[in-house]
Amino acid sequence: MNVSRIRVLAFKEWREILRDRLFLTLAFVVPSVLMLVFGYGIILDVEKLPFAVLDQDRSEMSRDYLQQFMASRYFDYQGDAQSEEELSHLLADSKIRLALIIPENFQQRLSAGLPAPVQTLIDGTFPFRAQTAKGYAIAINASTNADLLARFIAKTQGMSLQRAAALVSPVRLELRYLYNQELNSRWSVAAALIMFILMVSPPFLTALGVVREKENGSIYNIYTSTVTRGEFLIGKLTPYVGISVLNVFILWFMATTLFNTPFKGDPLFFLLASVIYVICTTGIGLLVSLLVHTQVAAMIMTAIITVVPSVLYSGLLIPVSSLDAAARFEAHLFPAMYYTDIVLGSFIKGIGLEILWGNMVMLLIYAIALWSLSFFLFRKRPRS
Amino acid sequence: MSFQTMTRIALWLRRLRVLTAKELLQLSRDLALMFVIVYAFTLDIYIAGSGVSLQLNQAAVVVIDGDHSQASRELIYRFRPPYFRLDGEVADAATGLKLLDQGKAMALLDIPPNFQKHLLAGQPTGVQLQIDTSNAVLGTLAASYAGQIVGKYGLDAALARTGLSAESLNVMPRIEDRHRVWYNPNQNDTWFFAIAELMTVITVLAIVLPAAATVREKERGTIEQLSVAPLTPIQILLPKVLSMMLVILLGTAVSVFLIMDIAFDVPFKGSLPLFFAVTLLYVFSTAGIGLVAATMSRNLAQVGMLTIMILAPTILLSGVWTPPEAMPPGLRQAMYLSPLYYYIEMGYGILLKGAGLDILWDSLLGLALLGSLIFAFGVWRFKRQFG
Repeated sequence: MNVSRIRVLAFKEWREILRDRLFLTLAFVVPSVLMLVFGYGIILDVEKLPFAVLDQDRSEMSRDYLQQFMASRYFDYQGDAQSEEELSHLLADSKIRLALIIPENFQQRLSAGLPAPVQTLIDGTFPFRAQTAKGYAIAINASTNADLLARFIAKTQGMSLQRAAALVSPVRLELRYLYNQELNSRWSVAAALIMFILMVSPPFLTALGVVREKENGSIYNIYTSTVTRGEFLIGKLTPYVGISVLNVFILWFMATTLFNTPFKGDPLFFLLASVIYVICTTGIGLLVSLLVHTQVAAMIMTAIITVVPSVLYSGLLIPVSSLDAAARFEAHLFPAMYYTDIVLGSFIKGIGLEILWGNMVMLLIYAIALWSLSFFLFRKRPRS
Repeated sequence: MSFQTMTRIALWLRRLRVLTAKELLQLSRDLALMFVIVYAFTLDIYIAGSGVSLQLNQAAVVVIDGDHSQASRELIYRFRPPYFRLDGEVADAATGLKLLDQGKAMALLDIPPNFQKHLLAGQPTGVQLQIDTSNAVLGTLAASYAGQIVGKYGLDAALARTGLSAESLNVMPRIEDRHRVWYNPNQNDTWFFAIAELMTVITVLAIVLPAAATVREKERGTIEQLSVAPLTPIQILLPKVLSMMLVILLGTAVSVFLIMDIAFDVPFKGSLPLFFAVTLLYVFSTAGIGLVAATMSRNLAQVGMLTIMILAPTILLSGVWTPPEAMPPGLRQAMYLSPLYYYIEMGYGILLKGAGLDILWDSLLGLALLGSLIFAFGVWRFKRQFG
């Protein structure tokens, strides 16, 4: 291994990147744009669900009941429907996500001390949103019921309304939100996005950088030179790792200033982990570049093998602990998961090496494995 | 029609056919690329659809039971699957919080001493639940379910204390909540993710393949041959788009019949021919974006980076991850500029909701208009460069 050869190769690669102005800009602009767009754009809080109502009772009590939905910030009233067909048409057209049907005799039954049915139709196309909407509707119904029952008991048993209310709901649930008191989904998204972007962008740059030489044929210069495989790989990839490390700083800066995500952990630990992670993901790009011969194939392959695992199996949307067994196994096969814990730990939870050392070790193992595999797959004399 | 026009049309079509065949041949010779395309339409969609669910699924709860009474045990017992899973007792808050720090538990339930005593005496009492909300979505769901559990428990306890049975609720005024979830009654995340991933794969390929096929000619210099050949810009571009459309449509069919139908049991409520027709229109529209990107770049690396820049907002503004109603006003209007928005609307509409043209005509019109505009812009730019 000759350090000066590596330096020269890295310098040559850096020159090449610098001269392709558009490529250079994009290498820095793409990560920032992804951060901006997804950081502001992914709003996972379910709010302002459009809903419509079919009120067949048209009584004071039915209006009072509906008022609770209309006043809630989770729902957005879109108007009254005249028939069930109209409601189902509106649901099919995605004009509304939830429909309420209050049958006749609503007031009459409740006044007579009987249960009154209310039908809620929920659009289940997006299961997560349906689940949350259902939760909101159940909560509104539960509070209405507690109120109705308290009034009923107060009337029939002759006690004060206050006592009856205490009787109906004797146990109070006191909720404490840890780490993210405002339930700010933007914080967790912005932090986890660093993981996502550093998984997608470095392999892309790397794979293109190497396959470009293969497709143009300039790699034959390397094949015929005295440069060894190791020197070539290290020299070639150092600039890409460098670009990505710079991007770590940029993304960290954006997360803390633009999205006001608190950074509670140890910056040095985070930086070290990020560098290892970037070396890992660059290694993925390297591996892809050795398997394909054209830049198109390289682009599509990196996009497809990096995006799905880093979105779905990394803890970005859903913690790995609540995946089912098979999915959890898949998650462990991919470095993204280990880094997500590090990012969320460093930003939101404020924990460091003492708890996350295992993740760090896994990332190191990945980095070494990916690079050694690439080293053995790379041949200076291509098989014909 | 005169004989001359007919021969001219025949010649035009023949050139189109020959060039399309050339593109297909070129594609089929790139074995790695073919492999990636097959992977994208099969295994990738399978991985995206299986296993992952955005629901609270057996979130681990640890308990500090300060009361050790029958009442506290009964409450603890109610934190059970599908939403929660009891992961045992801890002695004090510090131990519990450490488990939360490590991500080994999601919530810590704290029941105070004298819980049962207060309950029996009819005094209001409280329990505390600390939730790991570093994932805000699941944190919200956990809070909502815990609220339901504790509310129901309190109601049952109150009924038991006043000596009323559960049946007596039938003669009390209350609202019977009959909710039904349509289109996907079990809120099966598989369907949602599989369809979303299929649409994303189609989008990626529909932008990248024609863009790459065009830029490659620029990068290699073979574009010079094409521009001196007796071909109009349309005749150069259309075969690239047509061949990729063919490949993508074939892949979509494989994915729909093999993965969605057989592996995931997606109920195809609507008309599949309509779905494929809409897909065709969508691929055509998105290919236009690829052509525009191709005219802006000199080599494949640039086109790749540009594609990511275009893809990210297109996917974001499509409404899969963020519903239109939750978007801030400006962005909400911007959604009309994302072809994927119309495709998502129609794709989920046809496949899951069984919607037909009577409902989807406005989205179809929107996509057709937007697609023609983008495509025309791409051709216009290409003409300016090589016309």
